[in-house]
Amino acid sequence: MGRWQPLRGLWRINQRMEQWRAMRAIKEALRVAYPFILVMTLVDVVGQSFLASSGFFYQIYHIGSWLPGIDLWQQFFQALSLVVNGVVAVIVAFTTGHYLARTYRGDALAVGVMSALAFLSLNVNYDMLGMPNSESEGMSLFVENNLGPQGIFLAIVVGLAVGWLGSHLMASLTNWQQRHPRFGQMSWASRVAWPTIFVLIITVALGYGFSWFTDGGMNDLVYQALSAVVVNPGHRGFMILGITTLSNILWWLGFIGPVSLAGNSSVTSLQNLAYAVQHGSGWDAPNAVTLHTLGDAYANFGGAGMTLALLIAIGLVSKQASYRRVAGQTFLPNLVNLNEPTLLGLPVLYNPILLIPFLVAPAVNIVLAWFAITWKLVPPIVYPVPRTTPGPLIAFLGTGGDWRALLLSLVCLTISVLIYIPFVRLLNHEGGEDHAA
Amino acid sequence: MRHSWWRWLLGVIAVLVIFLPSVGWMQQRITQYKTNYRTPLNPTIMVPGSSASQNRFDTLITQLRKETKASHSVLKVKVAENGQISYTGSIRQGDNQPFIVIAFENNRDGYENINKQAKWLSLAIKDLVKTYHFNHFSALGHSNGGLILSLFLEKDFPQIKHVAIDKLMTIATPYNMESDSTTTRTAILKELVAGRSNLPKKLTVYSVAGTENYSSDGTVPANSVNQGKYVFQNQVAHYTQITVTGDDTTHSDLPQNKQIVLLIRQYLLQENLPAKDRYQRPSKNQQRSITGETGLP
Repeated sequence: MGRWQPLRGLWRINQRMEQWRAMRAIKEALRVAYPFILVMTLVDVVGQSFLASSGFFYQIYHIGSWLPGIDLWQQFFQALSLVVNGVVAVIVAFTTGHYLARTYRGDALAVGVMSALAFLSLNVNYDMLGMPNSESEGMSLFVENNLGPQGIFLAIVVGLAVGWLGSHLMASLTNWQQRHPRFGQMSWASRVAWPTIFVLIITVALGYGFSWFTDGGMNDLVYQALSAVVVNPGHRGFMILGITTLSNILWWLGFIGPVSLAGNSSVTSLQNLAYAVQHGSGWDAPNAVTLHTLGDAYANFGGAGMTLALLIAIGLVSKQASYRRVAGQTFLPNLVNLNEPTLLGLPVLYNPILLIPFLVAPAVNIVLAWFAITWKLVPPIVYPVPRTTPGPLIAFLGTGGDWRALLLSLVCLTISVLIYIPFVRLLNHEGGEDHAA
Repeated sequence: MRHSWWRWLLGVIAVLVIFLPSVGWMQQRITQYKTNYRTPLNPTIMVPGSSASQNRFDTLITQLRKETKASHSVLKVKVAENGQISYTGSIRQGDNQPFIVIAFENNRDGYENINKQAKWLSLAIKDLVKTYHFNHFSALGHSNGGLILSLFLEKDFPQIKHVAIDKLMTIATPYNMESDSTTTRTAILKELVAGRSNLPKKLTVYSVAGTENYSSDGTVPANSVNQGKYVFQNQVAHYTQITVTGDDTTHSDLPQNKQIVLLIRQYLLQENLPAKDRYQRPSKNQQRSITGETGLP
C-alpha cells in the first residue's frame, strides 16, 4: 500500500472511531437525512440563486425582467424550501435516535419519535408562554431558526442522548416487568409512554431553564457565545485565520454557520466600497485585510472548508462509488455556496480524515490571500457580490474584474484540491474492496 | 474515454455562460455604485442677498450651532470682481455638515449684477468641489441670494459633472424683484422661467416668505416671492411654499427668525426634530443604501 506514515496513524484513528456506536449512529442518521437535504438544497439553489432578487443568476441574467410572475415563483420556491429546510434538524434528531436505538436492539421507531419530540421541546418558544393572545400577536410556538440546519448539532446530541436513554429506559421497563410478573402485563403503549414522559420532563425543564438566559432557545445561547467571539476579528491576519479555523471546526461538528458570509454589509466593507467608488479601484482600500476580503473571497469556495475543492478531488481520485455519486449530486449546490448536502451526505461531519483538509485548505488560502494583498499583488475585494456567486468568481467580481484576483482564486482552488487529494485517496480504503467502484 | 471532448466542450460552454454575463453585470453594478455614491461630506452652501457680506449669516449660524448642539464648522468664501477667491475659516476634519457662506465683492442689486454674481458663485463652487471632494450639497439663499442660486442652477450647474444638489431653500427671495404685479414679469423672472427646464429634476425646493402685513415683509412683496412657482413648479421634484408671520418677520430679520431656523434644521440639515417643533412634511424621504438590494441579510 505504501501509505505515508502520518496518514496511517490517521487511518487508525478513523478505524477506531468507526467502531464507536455513536459515530455509526451519526453516520447512518446523516445518510438517511441526506436525500431530503439534497432535495431541499436543490430547491434552494433555484430559489436563492435564480429567483431571489439577491441571487447571483437572478442578477446576471436579469431574471426579474423577463420571467413572468416572478413573485409567484419566488413564493412557490420559498414554501418548498421551508418545508424541508425548516425542519431538517428534527429529521436528524429522529434518525440519530432511531439508529442508536437500533444498535441497542430497542424499539427504534418509538425512540426516534421520542428524540424528535425531545429536540422540539428544547426549542419551544418559552417566552411566548404565559402571554395572553400570544398566537394572535403572531408569535411562533417554536424557535423556528433552530429547527433548520443550524440546529443539526443539537439534534445530533439530543438524538444520541435520547437514543441511549430511551432505549435503556424501555429495556429496563421490560426487564423489571419480567422480574415482577405480579404487576401484570405492560402494554407496548405504556412501555413507550413512560419513558417519553420521563424524557420530556427532563428536556422541557432544560429548555425552560435555558430560556432564562436567552430568547432563542439553547441553540441561540451557543450561537450568541460564538458570534461574540467571531463577530469582529478586525484587521489582524492571525485573528482571521484563527476564527476561520474555529468556525470550520464548528461546521464540522454540525454548527452550521455562526460566521456567515455577511461581510458585504459590514462597516469595513462599506468603507472599502466608498473608497473604491471614489478612487476607481480597491487598491489601497482602508481595510484591505478583513475576514471578508480574505475568507469570503478566497477560502469559501462551495462554502465552509472549500468543499468545492473536495468535490473536484473526489472527481479526480476517489474510487468510492458513493462518494462520487454524492459529489456529482451536490456539485451544483456547491457552485452557489450551499454545501450542507455535501457535509451531511459524504458525510464530512464527524469524519476525522476529512477534518484535516477541511481546516487546512481554507487556512492556506487565507495565508496566500493575506500575502498577496499585503504585497499588493492583488487588490482586496471591495464591491459587494451576491452570496450565491460561484466561489472562484467572487474575488474577480468583487475587485471589479481584476485578472490577478481571478488567477489567485484559481491558484487557491488548485492548492485546495491538492490538499484534499491525499485524504480522499485514504478514504478509498474505507469499507474494504466491496464498496469500491 | 469516448465522450471526453464532449464533456470538455460542455464545461467550456458552462463557464462562458456564467462568466460572460457576470462580467457585464459587474460593470453595470460598478457604474451604478459610482452614480449612486454620495460623499459623507454634505455641505450647506449659503448665499446672502444684495448689500450683504459673508458675515450675513453669523447670527443664524450661532443660533443653529446652539440649537443643534453640533459645532458645524464655517468656511467663508469671497469672490472678487475679477473672479479671485479668498477663504476665511475652514471645514473641520470629520465635520460632514459644514456651512459654506459664499459672498461677492460686488454685492449690488440689479439684473446685471445678479447675473454676474451667479457666474462668480459657479466659480466658487467649482473650486470648492475640487478642494473638498463632495458630490452633493444643499443650499440656502436669502433674498437675492436665492436668485443667484436659481440662476446658477439653471445656467452653470448642469455643466458641473458628478455633483448633485439635494435641497434648496430660499428665504424671502423676490423672484419678480420689487414688482408687486402678478402679471408683468421683470427681466430676471423672464430669464428664470425661460431656463427652468435646466433645473435639476431631483431637487427639492422650499421657498419661505415672511410677511409683516398681508402683502410684504417690509422690503419684498409677497407676490414677488410667490412668483417662484412659475420657476420651480413641475420642474423640480418638490416645490413647497411656506409663509411665516409673527415676530421678527421683517425682511432682514428673517434668517434668524425662530420659525425659519427650525425649518432650516428640519429641511436642510435633516434633523429629527421633537414633534412639537416639527413642520408637517410634504413627503416622506426615503434614504437608499448605496449597496442597494445586493446587500446581504
